[in-house]
Amino acid sequence: MGLVFEEFYRSIPKAGEEVCGDSVEIIKKGNKTIVVLSDGLGSGIKANILSTLTAKIASGLLEKELPLKEILSTILATLPVCEVRGIAYATLVFLIIDQNQQLRLIEIDSPSAFLFRNKQVQKLDYREFELEGKKIREANFKFQRQDQLFLVSDGVTHAGIGGLLNFGLGWEGVACEIERVVKRSQTDLKNNINKLVKVFNTFYGDQAGDDFTIIGMKYRRKRKLNIWSGPPLKKENDSLLARKISEAEGKKIISGGTTAQIAARELNRDLEVGFKYYDRDIPPISKMDGIELLTEGLLTLNRVLSMLKKYKPGQIPVEGKDGASRFTRLLLESDSVKFLVGRAVNESHQSLNLPINLGIRSQIISQIAEQLRRIKKKVEIEWF
Amino acid sequence: MSKNILKICIGTPCHLMGAANLLESVEKFDCKLRQKIELKTSHCIDNCCDQAPVAEFNGKVYQNLNPEKLYKIIRENIK
Repeated sequence: MGLVFEEFYRSIPKAGEEVCGDSVEIIKKGNKTIVVLSDGLGSGIKANILSTLTAKIASGLLEKELPLKEILSTILATLPVCEVRGIAYATLVFLIIDQNQQLRLIEIDSPSAFLFRNKQVQKLDYREFELEGKKIREANFKFQRQDQLFLVSDGVTHAGIGGLLNFGLGWEGVACEIERVVKRSQTDLKNNINKLVKVFNTFYGDQAGDDFTIIGMKYRRKRKLNIWSGPPLKKENDSLLARKISEAEGKKIISGGTTAQIAARELNRDLEVGFKYYDRDIPPISKMDGIELLTEGLLTLNRVLSMLKKYKPGQIPVEGKDGASRFTRLLLESDSVKFLVGRAVNESHQSLNLPINLGIRSQIISQIAEQLRRIKKKVEIEWF
Repeated sequence: MSKNILKICIGTPCHLMGAANLLESVEKFDCKLRQKIELKTSHCIDNCCDQAPVAEFNGKVYQNLNPEKLYKIIRENIK
């Protein structure tokens, strides 16, 4: 089983601001992952525009695989400088990790990274140099299987400033918090990020004094997901599909009421239909042994599609207990997804006069597959 | 005391035609009545989706329901 580089981030805007002044861009290209974090000066929309600009330029140039020196000098020459304070309008961190787990990290004006290795947080070995009159830190090392790396914006190292603490947490304080949280559970990265955000927010007294962002990265095993949706055209394929889904490797979803009934019949398992509505637009989920999730068909799939369209790589998957949110979460947590799609027309839906693009399963599934490919998941579809 | 079984369809057509309202209305029945009913859900009842929403009460199928109709049916047929 292969390994995959996994990264999650959360950005919290300064209390009272609508947008966050920090920007994160994550690009996956082949076996390479590029992560860019930029923090705009100040907060609010101006900071947001500046950091977005910086992050986009940087990630765009990095993606084109220009020599690093050239990229850096381009960015440094283009970054606007504040007239009043004489400092750059945005900070920048970026890292590139390739298939040999070799990691290269460059930091300009931002807090140094936190490496969690052997149950403790360490500082990286940096090499410093000057370019275009700016001090730049660079670290080069081999990222190990059990390592976890955290990048933060200065909002995190300043947490608590002027309130709970005189001078904020500082690098040591943040390292201490990260170590405490990650030590407790080393596997669930996104949960740890959520916990850390809560911790830093608490230092701010739930009123963040600055935008803050935390990105976490680590390796994990690849995850597989299998989805069966729709009854097959030929009735004799019912048992084949049921066998395929029950014998598949990885997690399993069945989408569609009729499909669930077929599965229950063919596999001779009990189907327990739920009646709890978490969201009034999404019908309840059901339960069956050996299947992670059973949802309603069309409406749920449509909602899943709209959630996927809004998703940006690296974000923490959606919350929510309804069928569509659970479905989306499972999709986002997996690396390769296999769809088994039955193309039989559901007679009952014909009476509803649904809009044509809502009513056709194969179209929705194709669109979901397209969205999944956009965020670099491996997708396979088998039609029956 | 034998329970009365109420099965409400939550398949896509029934859901769109208001199955959630039916389920909600059952939860709002007064305690005495609610205790006598065992509530279940189903993915499809009797394949009469064009008459959604559909429910089954004590073995008999009722179509084209709304909360008022359902309440009346239960009142009249409860054991």
